[in-house]
Amino acid sequence: MIRTYRALLVAQIQAASAYRVQSILWMLFSVIRPVIFLAAWVAVANSQGGQIGAYDVRDFAAYYICLSLVSNLTMSWNAYDFEFEVRLGRLSPKLLRPLHPIHYSVVENIVWKVTTIIPLGIILVFVSLTFDARFRTTPAHLLLFVPSVLLAAALAFFSGWVLATLAFWTTRVHAVSTFWDRAAFIFAGQIAPLALLPGPLQAIALALPFGYILGVPAEILRGGVSVPTALQLMAGQAIWLVVFYFAFHRVWRVGVRQYSAVGA
Amino acid sequence: MTDAVVQVRELRKTFRVTEREEGLAATLRSFVKRRRKDVNAVAGITFRIDPGEVVGFLGPNGAGKTTTLKMLSGLLHPTAGEARVLEYVPWRRENAYLKSMTLLMGNRTQLVWDIPAADSFRVLQEIYRIPEAQFRATVNELTELLELQELVRKPVRNLSLGERMKVEFAAGLIHSPSVAFLDEPTIGLDISMQVRIRRFVAEYNRRTGATILLTSHYMDDVVALCKRVIVIHRGRLLYDGPLADLAERMAPYKVITATLHDGAASSTDLDAYGTVVSREEGRVTLRVDRQVAPERTARLVNDLGSRLADISVEDPPIEEVIDRVFTSEQTMVSA
Repeated sequence: MIRTYRALLVAQIQAASAYRVQSILWMLFSVIRPVIFLAAWVAVANSQGGQIGAYDVRDFAAYYICLSLVSNLTMSWNAYDFEFEVRLGRLSPKLLRPLHPIHYSVVENIVWKVTTIIPLGIILVFVSLTFDARFRTTPAHLLLFVPSVLLAAALAFFSGWVLATLAFWTTRVHAVSTFWDRAAFIFAGQIAPLALLPGPLQAIALALPFGYILGVPAEILRGGVSVPTALQLMAGQAIWLVVFYFAFHRVWRVGVRQYSAVGA
Repeated sequence: MTDAVVQVRELRKTFRVTEREEGLAATLRSFVKRRRKDVNAVAGITFRIDPGEVVGFLGPNGAGKTTTLKMLSGLLHPTAGEARVLEYVPWRRENAYLKSMTLLMGNRTQLVWDIPAADSFRVLQEIYRIPEAQFRATVNELTELLELQELVRKPVRNLSLGERMKVEFAAGLIHSPSVAFLDEPTIGLDISMQVRIRRFVAEYNRRTGATILLTSHYMDDVVALCKRVIVIHRGRLLYDGPLADLAERMAPYKVITATLHDGAASSTDLDAYGTVVSREEGRVTLRVDRQVAPERTARLVNDLGSRLADISVEDPPIEEVIDRVFTSEQTMVSA
């Protein structure tokens, strides 16, 4: 399997190099939203004496920088691609090879993340200096961040695949994944850090999977939660990952029987 | 009798499709209640294919050919019936099965668009776990047979349709499958490329002994490659047997073409010898009952004497024969 992954990685890097400008634009797009929220929260905080809850302007800056990094490292766009592949029958050649189609997607995700991390890092350093971000990160937080962001990436990947697999039943997964993205917008910690959500919303957010993909690893990296809390939140990540992992296998097994291989 | 490579029994595939009448009212109604209809794409077909056979799978558009190939390759689950290919149930898609077969579709690509085919071949080598020595030997053989030398180094998107098809063939056969399902392999190609692909398929079958089931709308493909044909229409099997017998059984006549000197074709009365089908530029085409064709030909030669420049006796064009099979919809399965 390692040799297969190496070959797929080489091919994907070659293919991605043909679209390097597009990759950079996508990466910029993923940074724009958090930076806009950062600017908005800075304005609100300044108008209220520089502090909202436990966050001052420099904390907001650190949070949204961490969120941008986590967003890039966990982004998964399977649902969009997969619907396209099912609708046009492009899944067929992949289904006919002795390798599960999910592996191509793993490689695409890895290559995209690796090729965009350096330019993203430069942008985030620039934003960090501009807003004078303050990180409360300790070595323990850094140590916990690694498994936390891996759990988040796997969770985003498998939840994305569960949505994607709906394409076997409906060729309009786009609508479902747009709904999913809107929910993530509120509950993942994009519109505001999870700690600033009103009580009931915060409880809902912690019961749903979205926050475990973005807000949780971002807070761990920023050092915004204590180590015991971080471990509790990571347990939540692990639970949701197990749920989506098994859901994916179940949905795939049933869904692939539905595949009508339209046009191909 | 040898063990069959492909064995199909009462195979069926029914698709459930949504139907809607035109107009706004029907559109609004369909929001509340969808009307669905079952379409029998394959309505219970049975056949077997022995090792090394090249079989033509014929039928008009929508006959169920591609659906059958998709079931045999494992892409589709059937609604009912059984199929075994190399002793595997195709739709279980076991890795051992996927490594032994290929499905090549003339209008589809399986290569990565933005990289040279040679790099895609390397990916396939790892996916199929092909040992290096075998990989090199296969690539060399396919390169020689398909004349790929220059093509495999260019990004696939820069290849012409015919060039791409050749490279697709190589990609589809790189793991040396013993069963190949070819769906319209020459579609959209120019005549010379069609001939090359045909030669390649014949040579591949000769060299490897692979079993091939081929669909094509170009009867030249079928005539050049297949001794046996299976004809289906509306999901039902109409004919299974030698291609040579098809004309004899479905078209009980021969076509005699007589070329006459001095433009005599337009004036000479040949109705007594058979049904005159056409007269053009000194050439008369007659349709004559198969039983009496030798005797009528002899009489024609004798009666026309020196006015006759040339004469030929042939089976009717295969397209015409196949059309008669579709039109009659009568089932004929050879023993």
